[in-house]
Amino acid sequence: MEHMKHLMNLTIKKIIVYAGIVLVCSIPAYYLVISLIWQFEMNEHNIVLTDEAARHDRYVIITAVTALTSLFFIFLLGGSILLNRSVSRRLWQPFYESLAKIRNFDLTSRQQVIFDQTNIFEFAELNVSLEKLISGNISAYNQQKEFTDNASHELQTPLAIVQSKLELLLQNSSLTDAQYNSIEDALHALARVSRINKNLLILAKIENSQFIEKERIDFSALLHETVTLFKNYSDNKKIELQLNIIHGKMVEGNKILIEILINNLITNAIRHSSDHKKIIIKLTNDHLVIKNEGISPLQAEQLFNRFATATSENPGTGLGLALVKQISARYNWKPGYHFDHGFHVFSIEF
Amino acid sequence: MKILIVEDEKELADSIGAYLSDENYLCEFAYTYNDALEKIELYQYDCILLDIMLPGGNGIKILEEMKSMKKDEGVIIISAKNSLEDKVMGLQIGADDYLSKPFHLSELAARVYSVIRRKNFDNLNIIEQNELKIDLPAKTVLVNNQEVVLTKKEFDLLLYFISNKNKVISKSALAQHISGDIADMFDNYDFIYAHIKNLKKKLSDAGYGNYLKTLYGTGYKWNI
Repeated sequence: MEHMKHLMNLTIKKIIVYAGIVLVCSIPAYYLVISLIWQFEMNEHNIVLTDEAARHDRYVIITAVTALTSLFFIFLLGGSILLNRSVSRRLWQPFYESLAKIRNFDLTSRQQVIFDQTNIFEFAELNVSLEKLISGNISAYNQQKEFTDNASHELQTPLAIVQSKLELLLQNSSLTDAQYNSIEDALHALARVSRINKNLLILAKIENSQFIEKERIDFSALLHETVTLFKNYSDNKKIELQLNIIHGKMVEGNKILIEILINNLITNAIRHSSDHKKIIIKLTNDHLVIKNEGISPLQAEQLFNRFATATSENPGTGLGLALVKQISARYNWKPGYHFDHGFHVFSIEF
Repeated sequence: MKILIVEDEKELADSIGAYLSDENYLCEFAYTYNDALEKIELYQYDCILLDIMLPGGNGIKILEEMKSMKKDEGVIIISAKNSLEDKVMGLQIGADDYLSKPFHLSELAARVYSVIRRKNFDNLNIIEQNELKIDLPAKTVLVNNQEVVLTKKEFDLLLYFISNKNKVISKSALAQHISGDIADMFDNYDFIYAHIKNLKKKLSDAGYGNYLKTLYGTGYKWNI
């Protein structure tokens, strides 16, 4: 960004450099002409100067010409800067207005940008093209969101049918162990599909600006509750939980969303921990930090994207952290990840 | 006990019917809004399973109609929508429970069992099975008139088994019942074994027959 230039400075700089060169070149020309006239007048009146006096006059002429030229250059410089400013500002104003509108454009709000009228042909054309581009984007975004929403809804029923048929199959009295286990495995995979589906639905709903109801939530208490809820699972892995949670941290938000956020972060920590490892959960007034032991850093740039699951041996829905990101964005919180001394550190900055 | 299954997906309705139908339950089906309304007006049911999105109308409307007809059958909403608004609205208008699709049939059976018991308060709040006696309101369990002290989870599991008697229950259904949605975030259901082992031990120590069988290594069945 350092070598970026402002549009307005760009034109004026060239002009000034050019003017500078012309004026500098004009100094010897002035000198030459004045000297010639001077010489001519001397000869006319038969005046003969000593060498020293002639040299002195030459110096006077050079100094005077240079001083005058510099003075005019400064006038020119100041004048053109001021003039250029006011002309450019008027000239480029529609451009800067369009730029400001685009900068404030947020695809998720799905508000079409309306540009001001301009009587400059190029800018009018630019605005029309931008409007077309933006409305195209909005409709593609809408379609994609509707698709996710509808597809997830439509999937629920066939999923329910498959699950019910599999469970009926379990009731068959002539099943072998192998057959039973195949059905169990199928049910297990099906549960994962259902969960992915549910998460996609929630994501679509958040993007659709649902879950708007807000209330004051005791974040500390909710965190404690969640940890208790997951105790079965962490105990099962003999995980050492280290809690450092301040009391009475309140946040403003939707209860369901905040629960999902906490659930997903803690589930991840437990799921991706090996037996007998340590998980540290820390809540301060402006940070939530959840650390779990790990071997190598994860790819931080991709971590919070959909279906960016880092490992295949312990597959989740691939949507947990995407939800964390979306929910954080809703409340202007900052989710983060880094790897520190053998710990995966996930954090939310309130 | 008569159960009405209001569900437009015939395949799903069939599965539910096949699972629930036994010597205790008689299932009837309604595949459309009008069909359902007609059956509810004409007959008396113990429990109604109600889908929200039906051809010809909305399940919530049926609930409202039932209210104006002063019918107070137990109603369990089974919906694909899984939206909180639907759930809250359904429960406010008078549904007794809400289950979002997809669900485990054994979970549905447990909910049906509990709704029926809640509705028919007087004669059904004590379950007796051979030497076992469960007092539902008091949440106490007696074996041969000796009280067996169970934890909340063990009591819950016992009811789950009894409401699914003679059915094979998968471990994933059990895990989901015990810890709800968070169950399938994990792949390890080992903690369930601990709860079941304790339940089994407490009951057999008190002299209750071995009715809870382990099948195929990971499934369970309450044989009676």
